[in-house]
Amino acid sequence: MIKHLMAGIQRGLGLHCPGRSLLIFPDDIFLVSFPKSGNTWTRFLLANLRFPDERANFANINRLIPDPSGTNKRDFDRMPRPRIIKSHECFDPRYPRVIYIVRDPRDVVVSQYHYHRKIRKIEDHSPIEKFVARFLAGETCPHGSWGQNIGTWLYTSEGNPRFLLLRYEDLVANTPRELAKVVAFLHFTAGPEQIAQAVERSSADHMRKLEETQTDKNALMKGSRKDLSFVRAAGSGGWRKELPAPLVEKIEAAWGPLMRHLGYELSSQSSSEARDSEYLGMLSGTPR
Amino acid sequence: MLGQFKYAVKYVLGLDHAGKHYTVFPDDTFLVSYPKSGNTWVRFLLANLIYPNETVEFSNINRLLPAPGVSSKRFLRNLPRPRILKSHETFDVRFRKVIYLVRDPRDVVVSEYHFNLKKRYIEPDVTLDQFVKRFIAGETSSYGSWWEHTASWIAARHGNPAFLLVRYEDLLTDGIGETGKIAEFLGIQAGPERLQAAIERSSADRMRKLEKQQADQWTGTRNTRKEIPFVRAAKSGGWKETLPAHSVEEIEVAWAPLLIFFGYELQGRQLDGTTMPLWVKTGQPL
Repeated sequence: MIKHLMAGIQRGLGLHCPGRSLLIFPDDIFLVSFPKSGNTWTRFLLANLRFPDERANFANINRLIPDPSGTNKRDFDRMPRPRIIKSHECFDPRYPRVIYIVRDPRDVVVSQYHYHRKIRKIEDHSPIEKFVARFLAGETCPHGSWGQNIGTWLYTSEGNPRFLLLRYEDLVANTPRELAKVVAFLHFTAGPEQIAQAVERSSADHMRKLEETQTDKNALMKGSRKDLSFVRAAGSGGWRKELPAPLVEKIEAAWGPLMRHLGYELSSQSSSEARDSEYLGMLSGTPR
Repeated sequence: MLGQFKYAVKYVLGLDHAGKHYTVFPDDTFLVSYPKSGNTWVRFLLANLIYPNETVEFSNINRLLPAPGVSSKRFLRNLPRPRILKSHETFDVRFRKVIYLVRDPRDVVVSEYHFNLKKRYIEPDVTLDQFVKRFIAGETSSYGSWWEHTASWIAARHGNPAFLLVRYEDLLTDGIGETGKIAEFLGIQAGPERLQAAIERSSADRMRKLEKQQADQWTGTRNTRKEIPFVRAAKSGGWKETLPAHSVEEIEVAWAPLLIFFGYELQGRQLDGTTMPLWVKTGQPL
C-alpha cells in the first residue's frame, strides 16, 4: 500500500519510468534489438554521433539514448528532438522509425548465458543445455524468443523505408560503413571524421575502461558480479568454441530458414536451398 | 502539470485507464483482432456462451467481456480469473492464450470507412478510394496496418496450441462448427443447443435492435453519428459491390501473401506458388 502510494507520488512528479505508456512523437527513432545483440554498443555509437560534445559513458547513456523502462518520464520530456530511444520490444506499430540490430542467435545465447551469470540469475555451473532450452522457448527474457523478436519485425516491416536492419556482425566487421547507413537513414549530417570519432569513442577497449570505473552507475550492471565483465568478447563466431554441437543443431532446427535469410551460415544441412528461396520470395515481394 | 497530478491521484485509486499498461496474468485468454473484423460480434457470442443466464447487451458487454482500453486497472484486477479480455493489439508476448479473429481486409476497409465516418474520425467528404490508400499505409488505425497486425501474430504464434485462428467468414458460414472450436479451446462443455442459443442471441438482427436502444450506453457508439449504424451489413464479400476495382487491386498487390495464407481468393493476378513464403506454406512457428 505504501509502495503503491509512493508510486503515485512519483507519477505526480514525473519520476516514474514510462515503460509501455511512453508518449511517442512522430519523429522518434527507436534502436531495437533482442537483448545481448550489441544494443549497448550501438547506443554508444549513436550517442557519440548525435551528441559529440558529450562523450557517452555508462553514467549518462540512459539520458542520451533513454530506455523507457530505465529512464524517468521527466528526462524523456526534457530530451531534445528527435529522440533516439532504446528498446528490446517485439514489433510495435507505434514506433515511427526503427533501427533493428540482429545478431547470430548462436552468439546471442552464449552472451546471455554469461550475462545471466554476471547478474546472478544463474549459477556458474548451470548447464548450458538447460539455458539453450529456455532460450529457444523464449523464457530467458520478457521480450519473446529470438525468433519471435526478429520474426515479428521482419514479417511486418522488412522493405519498409522506415525500417533499417543492421547485422551486429557487419557492424563489427566495418563499423564506419554501417554507421554511414544509419546517418543516411536518419538524414543526419555527419562526415567521415565525425563517424570515425564516434567509432573510436565507442570502441570495446574504451567501453571496457569505462566499465571498470562506472559499473555501479548503470542499471545493467549495478550489484552484479565484478569478476565477470559486461563488455565481453565484442566479436562474432564465439559460439563455435563455446556451444556444443547438439545445441547448435537445436537452434538451427528451430530458426534455420530465418537464420539463412539473415545470412547466417548453418553448420547442419537441415533445411534445403529450395525452402530458403521460398522464404526470400515472400519477404522481397511485400512492400510493407 | 494539473493533468499529471490528476493522473497520480487516479493511479493511487486504481481508476486510471489500463490501456497498454496493466498486469497480464498467465491464465488470461485474449480475443484479439484488427479493428472492424467482427470483434464485438464474437464478444457477444462468447459472453452468451459463457453466461447463458445473463442478458448480454451493449450496456453490459464491457463488464462481461472487458476491453482493457476502456476499463480501469482496479476493475481489471478485481475480475474473477481466468479472465477473457478483448484486444486490438499487435503481437504482445504477455498474451499466452489467444483467439485470433481475422477478416478479409477488402471487407475490413469498407467497414472501417463507415465506422470512421460514424465516429467523425474522418471528414464526410473523404472518398472510399482515398481511404483505402491510407488504410494500406496503416494510417487509419493506431494498431498498425492490417498486414502488420496479422503478420505480427502469425510470425510469433502460428502453430502454437495456445493460438486459435478463426476466420470471420467461417463463423458466418459455419457458426456451430466454429463456435464449437472456440468453446473447446476455452474448455467450455457446450452441446449443440447451447451453441445454437449463443449464436441466436448474438445475431445481427438482435444486435441491431439493441444498438437502437442502447447506443448511448456503450463506449463504442456513444457520441457518434446516429444515422450510420454500428452493426452494419454483418456479412462477407460486400467489397465486391462497393470497392472500386483499382482499390481491390491495390490491396491485393500489397498483401497477396497473407491473403493467400488466410485463404482469401484474389481477383487479380495469382501469386506463383513457388514464390510463396516458407511460413505461409508450412506455418512453422518461431
